[in-house]
Amino acid sequence: MPLTFIDIEKHKTWRIWVFFLLLMLLYFVIILAFAVLLLPHAARVPMRLWFFAFLTALLISGIHFWFSAYNAVAEVIRGLEAQPPDPKDDIHKMLTNILQEINVVAGNKRKIQCVVIPSLSLNALAAADLKGEAIIGITEGLLSRLTRPQIEAVVAHEAHHVLSGDCLETTVAASMFGTLSSLVEKSAQTSRGRSFPHPALLLAWGLLMLGNFLNMFISREREYRADAAAVRMTRNPVALAETLYMLSRSWRGAGFIGSGFEMLCIVNPEATALDEAEGFWADLISTHPPIQKRIDILLTMAHMNIAGLDTKIKAENASMASPSGPAYYAMNPRQEWQGPFNLAELSALSWLSPLTWVRIGDEQSIDRAWKNPFINTIFVARLSQDEKAAPDVTCPACHQPLVTESYEGTQIYQCRFCAGALVENSKIPRILARADRNQPCSERVKTLAKIQVKENQLKFAQQKPAILNRSSVPLFSCPKCKNPMYRGFYSGAYLIEIDRCSFCGITWFGQDELQMLQCLIELKPLGAPQTLETP
Amino acid sequence: MIGWIILAVLSLILVWLILIYNGLISIRNDVQNAWKQIDVQLKRRHDLIPNLVSTVKGAMEFEQDTLEKVISARARAVSAPTPATKAEAENMLTQALGKLFAVMENYPTLKSNQNVMQLQEELTSTENRISFARQLYNDLVANFRTRLQVFPNNIVSSMFNFKSEEYFGAEEADRVVPSVNVSLKK
Repeated sequence: MPLTFIDIEKHKTWRIWVFFLLLMLLYFVIILAFAVLLLPHAARVPMRLWFFAFLTALLISGIHFWFSAYNAVAEVIRGLEAQPPDPKDDIHKMLTNILQEINVVAGNKRKIQCVVIPSLSLNALAAADLKGEAIIGITEGLLSRLTRPQIEAVVAHEAHHVLSGDCLETTVAASMFGTLSSLVEKSAQTSRGRSFPHPALLLAWGLLMLGNFLNMFISREREYRADAAAVRMTRNPVALAETLYMLSRSWRGAGFIGSGFEMLCIVNPEATALDEAEGFWADLISTHPPIQKRIDILLTMAHMNIAGLDTKIKAENASMASPSGPAYYAMNPRQEWQGPFNLAELSALSWLSPLTWVRIGDEQSIDRAWKNPFINTIFVARLSQDEKAAPDVTCPACHQPLVTESYEGTQIYQCRFCAGALVENSKIPRILARADRNQPCSERVKTLAKIQVKENQLKFAQQKPAILNRSSVPLFSCPKCKNPMYRGFYSGAYLIEIDRCSFCGITWFGQDELQMLQCLIELKPLGAPQTLETP
Repeated sequence: MIGWIILAVLSLILVWLILIYNGLISIRNDVQNAWKQIDVQLKRRHDLIPNLVSTVKGAMEFEQDTLEKVISARARAVSAPTPATKAEAENMLTQALGKLFAVMENYPTLKSNQNVMQLQEELTSTENRISFARQLYNDLVANFRTRLQVFPNNIVSSMFNFKSEEYFGAEEADRVVPSVNVSLKK
């Protein structure tokens, strides 16, 4: 820093006195005008009138100055309806952390608070007052749209305004003239169409004009200096360049952040041709330098050009949009659509399985979850924690790796998601023979099996020839040889539908199908007249 | 008359000596304060790591190796006796943490765990604070060294035996820092 904090403070003080004198002049003129109009006899003694007007103007402007300059930060906070960050909100917590980080790099010279401005626009500001309060305000829009390094760059930029002292003069000016001028703007919006504005607003109008005039004293150079300081603190010119680039293409709060506060902001809320212009008049009147030039300076520091930045931002947006960007809707077990979810939220749903129906955004196409490669990563991740997963054998329904499980004393493959089981034909008799050895089948499976058999008896009677000829349409492909599996009853005596691969000699049982078959065996033991047919 | 002139010159020299001496002392105190700041932030990191490890270990049981590396690097950093070994151990810890964060990317369940996300944010913030504190320290050390070496300060500094401070292993550390900034947020 070329100057110390105290040097800059001294350097700026004369401007604050200029503001005060201007304010007093305004009151003086107004009081004089009123006095001449209302008290014509007083006008006969000009000296006394001038003296009266001077004293009253000094008193009123003194009170006005004291209230606005001493308590300017509170005034700005009230004007913008800003709130302190919510400690329970993750993103607000991040903002608090970032501010503390910037305090560390600035050597903890001054206590700065942060506030969040409830606006969807993208902007940030800094304010300080004679009481010693200093704040950095960030809009909700900026907080949610920017990445962490970008927010760091913005906070560092604003912190430099506070630490270098230049934000004291801007805040005092904004508070003296900005709050009232914002009032004028708001009432102008509400009273549009009326032929006469409210006479009480005349004073405020005068202040607004004066406020605009004060812009002449606010140097646009300070923004360049704050940009440079932000880079010195965060060592990341690209993040600040990206931020300015995004701000230049977004709503910066025009209409929400009154024009009285424009000099406090990182970019002018209103995009004006004057700001983007250069030259004597633009330098004199405008409060902000051209954004394009600021970006160019930052990019030169990072040895990049604007085309490179453009491609980088587009690529980042695309990469953010592809894995977690789209809003997913999923059908829950009660057949209701739920959402929108991002990928992380989707993965936390306990009922999400590869067979869940999923829709992306407002698209019409609905598909099974496993068919979407991004959602499928969730199942892959779930299974990667399971050492029993057999990556070469996948579930014919869910298309996820099956896991080897011990069942009735023998090894079978099971699906963690749809609860189906893949069993080698040679092992089926073993399993069925051991059916009643451990636990008797549950009531639920027993009921399910009875209903299934009843239904299937009807089907069997109607379609017997077709089923026996194995001409039914295959549902699944064999997980091992990929040939179609044929769906048919286990046997004429045990009417449970299963899928078989005649090439590999394996059978796929859907959820509960193996248990139902075991249950039927239990109810109708092997020694019964209808003996078990081997598949 | 001559006596008065000599007295005036001598008192001027004395004032000049006092000014330079006080200036050097003030900068040295700033440097030492900045060093303490690094310590504060390192302590914060050491306190956070056990929390993070215990929170993620359930979900990352197949990454025991990575977790153990973080724990052992932390233990080494906590017990490092000298600044040089400390800097080395902290760099190892930064590397181990970077690896852990990279591996955590593979676990969507961790990304949706709010505790983990909060701890991750706290650690990212701490990493930033460490690097910022180090940056401030090194800037102040550079300033201090310049003040000691320029004429006529070098006369005063050698008279009062001022010693220049060491830089905090910036080169090694800078190489490994970016990996820690990986955010799981978006």
